[in-house]
Order: sequence, then C-alpha cells, then structure tokens
Amino acid sequence: MATTYRRTPTKAELRRQRMEELVNYPLDWLEERSGLVGGVRYFLFRNVPSDVNWMQTLGSAALTAFLVQAITGVILAMYYTPSASTDPATGKPVAWESIVNITDHVTMGWLVRGMHKWGASVFIILMFLHMGRVFLFGAYKYPRELNWIVGVLILVMGMMEGFTGYLLPWDQTAYWASVVGINLNGTAPFLGPWLAQFLRGGQEIGGETLTRFYSLHMLVIPAAIIGLITLHLYLVIRLGVTSPPWSKEAAGMEPEEEEPVTARPGLTRPVPRTAGGTAMQAEPGGRD
Amino acid sequence: MAAIPKEKPSRIDEARAQFARYKADVKARGKPFYPYAMFHDTIMSLVVVCVIIGLAAMWKWSAWGPGHDPTHKGLLGPEVDPPADPGTTSFVPRPDWYFYFLFYLLRIFKWPESVFLGTIGVPTIALILLIGLPFLDRRRERRLSARPVAMVAAVLTVLSMAVLTWKGATANEALASEVIADVPHWVQVENLPSGALPGAKLFATAGCTACHTYAGAGGSNLGAPDLTDIGTRNLGIDFQIRHLQCPSCVNPGSPMPHFASLGNERLHQLAVFLEASKGAH
Repeated sequence: MATTYRRTPTKAELRRQRMEELVNYPLDWLEERSGLVGGVRYFLFRNVPSDVNWMQTLGSAALTAFLVQAITGVILAMYYTPSASTDPATGKPVAWESIVNITDHVTMGWLVRGMHKWGASVFIILMFLHMGRVFLFGAYKYPRELNWIVGVLILVMGMMEGFTGYLLPWDQTAYWASVVGINLNGTAPFLGPWLAQFLRGGQEIGGETLTRFYSLHMLVIPAAIIGLITLHLYLVIRLGVTSPPWSKEAAGMEPEEEEPVTARPGLTRPVPRTAGGTAMQAEPGGRD
Repeated sequence: MAAIPKEKPSRIDEARAQFARYKADVKARGKPFYPYAMFHDTIMSLVVVCVIIGLAAMWKWSAWGPGHDPTHKGLLGPEVDPPADPGTTSFVPRPDWYFYFLFYLLRIFKWPESVFLGTIGVPTIALILLIGLPFLDRRRERRLSARPVAMVAAVLTVLSMAVLTWKGATANEALASEVIADVPHWVQVENLPSGALPGAKLFATAGCTACHTYAGAGGSNLGAPDLTDIGTRNLGIDFQIRHLQCPSCVNPGSPMPHFASLGNERLHQLAVFLEASKGAH
C-alpha cells in the first residue's frame, strides 16, 4: 500500500516503497487476474467458532491421509506393472514380481509401498472417526445435509479404492478375495451380473481384470474422490464449522428465555445474548 | 405481504434464523482459522503421517525375519504373499479388514434363500439410511442428552460393526493342512467307498472348506451350504462336474468361484466324492 507523505519522501523511503511494490508484484498480478489471493486470504483468515476442539481436526487428518495415498500412489505407479502374464524367466506373474521389486530393490520402495498399504487403513479409520464426530455434534443438520451426503460418498469411494487396490499385488489372498468379491457383486439384481462381467472383463478373473482394477484404482475413483473432497471443503468453508453442542458459548445458541418480569421489577427487557452485544464487540474481527 | 403475523415460526424458518445467528456469532466472537485452528490441524496431520510411517516401518522390520524371507509373517503380516495362481488347490478368500463386517454378515444368511440379503440387501439398506440421516433426523437439537434415539442408534451401529468386524477377523480359517487330517474321519463316518478317497483329499486341499462345512470341518463362509450329505440329493456326477466348472451357469447368482482350472480328471474325482457323501452316521 502506498504511503502518503506530507513532506517529500527521502531516498530511503522511496527505495523501500519500490522494494515493497516489487516484492508484492507477483501476488498483485495474480490477484488482479484471478482473485485467488483474496480467496486464500479468506480461507485462512475466516473466523471459526472460538470453541472448536481437537475432535474437529479429524477431517483435515483424513485429508492428509488421502494426500499421503495420492503421493505414494503416484510413486508406486512409476514402478508397478499391471500385467498378469507370466514372466518367462521366472515363471511368476509380472505384476507380483514388480511388487517384490518395489519392496526389495527400489530405494525406499518398502517405505512407499508400506505407507500406501497402511495409509489406506488409516484413511478409512479417520473417515469413520470424522463421520462419528459429525454425528455426535449433530453437524449434519440444516444447512449441512448436502455435505453429509458428499462425505458418505467419499467414504464409499474410499472403500472402493480399498477393494480395487487389494487385487493389484496379484498374490493369492488378493486374487481369491477379488474372485469372491466380484462374484458377490454378481448376486445383485438387475445390474449385478453386468457389473461382475464388467469388473472381470471376461468370464474369468485374469489380466483384463487386473488392468481394469488398475485403471479404476488410479484414475476413475481418485478423480471422483478429489472432486468430492473439493466440493466437501467448499461447503465446509461456505457453511462454517459447528461449535461443540455442549459448549457454553456455542455459536448460534438460542437466545435465553425471557425471565419472568416479576423477578426483576426494574428490568423490562432482558439483555440480549446475541453476538456483539457484550465486551467482545471491542475486539477486532478477522485480520483483514 | 406478511400482514398476518404467524402464530409459531415454521421449522425451516427457525433453522434459518438459527443459522443467521450462528453466522453473526462466528463473525463477532469467533477466531481466525489461521493460526488457531490450523495449528491444531497441522499437529494432527503430522501425527497421522508419523503413524503411517511407523506402521510401514513396523511392517518391514517385523516381517524381515530369519534369512530375509519376505514371506515371513511379522506383527502386521508378511510383506509378500505367494503369487496369484488361478489353478491353485489351496486358498482362503480374505478381504481387507474394513470389509470383515460384510464378510461375516454373509455367514449369518444362508445360501441360497437369503444370501441375497447379506450380499446386497443389508448393505444397501444401511447405505440408504446413512445417506438419508439428515432427512430422518430433522430436529435442530444438537445436544447429546436431548437426542436419545440418535445416541442409541449410534451405540448399536458401532457395537454391531465392531462385533461383525471382530467375528470376521477371528473367523475360523480352514487350512488345507489341518483339513486333510480329517479325511480318515470322513471315510469312517460317511462310509466312503475307496473310489471316493482321491476326491476327498482333493476336497480337503482345494479350498472347498474355506467356505463349505463338511462333517464338522470347514468354514461356512459367504453362506455356503453344508456338504455333509450332498450326495443324498442325487444330483449326478455330470451335474457336479458342470457345477464345479461354472457354478453360476447351473445355479444363477452363485458367488462360488469357477474350478474349471482343476482339470477334468480332478473334477471327476471331486464329483465322485460329493455323490458318495450320504451324510454322517
């Protein structure tokens, strides 16, 4: 922001002003053309109720777990081969061999694969805990119904990631769990047989199934999850975070019932408990 | 407009007024997300990443057993399972732990009459209830003490999920090595002819008992029927072979895997064994 001087600015002051403009130039350029800087400022400096607690970090924790899955997943995709065909040199399936290679030979491969495998469980657990928190807080009620539904869809998509990802190592447990899982899908009425046929990519589970699961696991479902998470966060920012329902100073609490007039003859009107009625008014609001 | 004063504001009007009050409250006496709430979020996220790295490390170091055998079972299971083999003769279908509740649900319902309830029915109803929750519970009340129905429903849901997951996790796995020890017992109680012996051994090792029970052995997974007296239905050798090759072809909707890869000779042995199984005496 340009400073106005009553006197002629000194050389040092002018230099300082030029430096500030230079440093801010990229941000100003971006803001003028996109409004993104204002958006980020709004996101960071928007008010949340003063009584939010640790339980309300579970959503962002689940997001972090998802980001871990995304990053480790991209790295795994660089080394993994989704092929069920047999390696003529060893007689083992190529996909299974690439997993062994990642685990045993790729630098830090064991860590990336381990984080992806166990991060999946952590992601699912955190989504369930986050859902439990929202349920306990009654935070799915008006006007946040839509966000509850989006959250349930993210949970379902997360479990589908688990189902499709389980097959990719192409080992015995994975293979037979998927055989049975797909057959169970097939018992659904109407769409079931079609869905089972689509997932298998043929009559039997094989290479077609593996590439289908791979495509679903790293393209279709993650894209859906990212879209749903974006919508989820937009709604969180737009509608705000709820106070714990037991909080004495919960935002949006009912104004207290009017006290019987007879109790305090001098007082005709109760002091309003609504926002900004008391000492808090003196405090400045957000930072901008 | 609005000349007639309303006796009592409607539910949606009350909800809107409350939300407006919430917005005003947050604006007036809330605190900025950065740095206050974001500080907590960051700490929690760091904990999450550390836990994930810790699990990965524990998985590797505890599985990295004697002689660097990658299939060594550690605290969190082996790093690598044997490769998938469609023509295998021994397997246990086991999903990831967060599907255990579904896995176990299928044992509660019996094939074929009601297995549909376990595979699709109950999960679909549960999902519809979950999505519909905000429309089932439309009161504005958020305090736990004033939501007895919601609290009871929550406790029951958590308990039943926990029990199903636990039962699924501890469900008996019929290991081929253990089941084959039962074959002489089967011969005795079922009076099996000697021609049925190769089939019995195959039945014990081909993974059939992962889902089916037979003379008290095996695991009744996925609602699969007991086969102790399957022979009394006189389905015939040909039917048994066709069924093993493609269960869903002769029994539409069957979730049983195809066993065509066992080959004709072994399928015939299995069929002879099944037809000879006239029930335990």
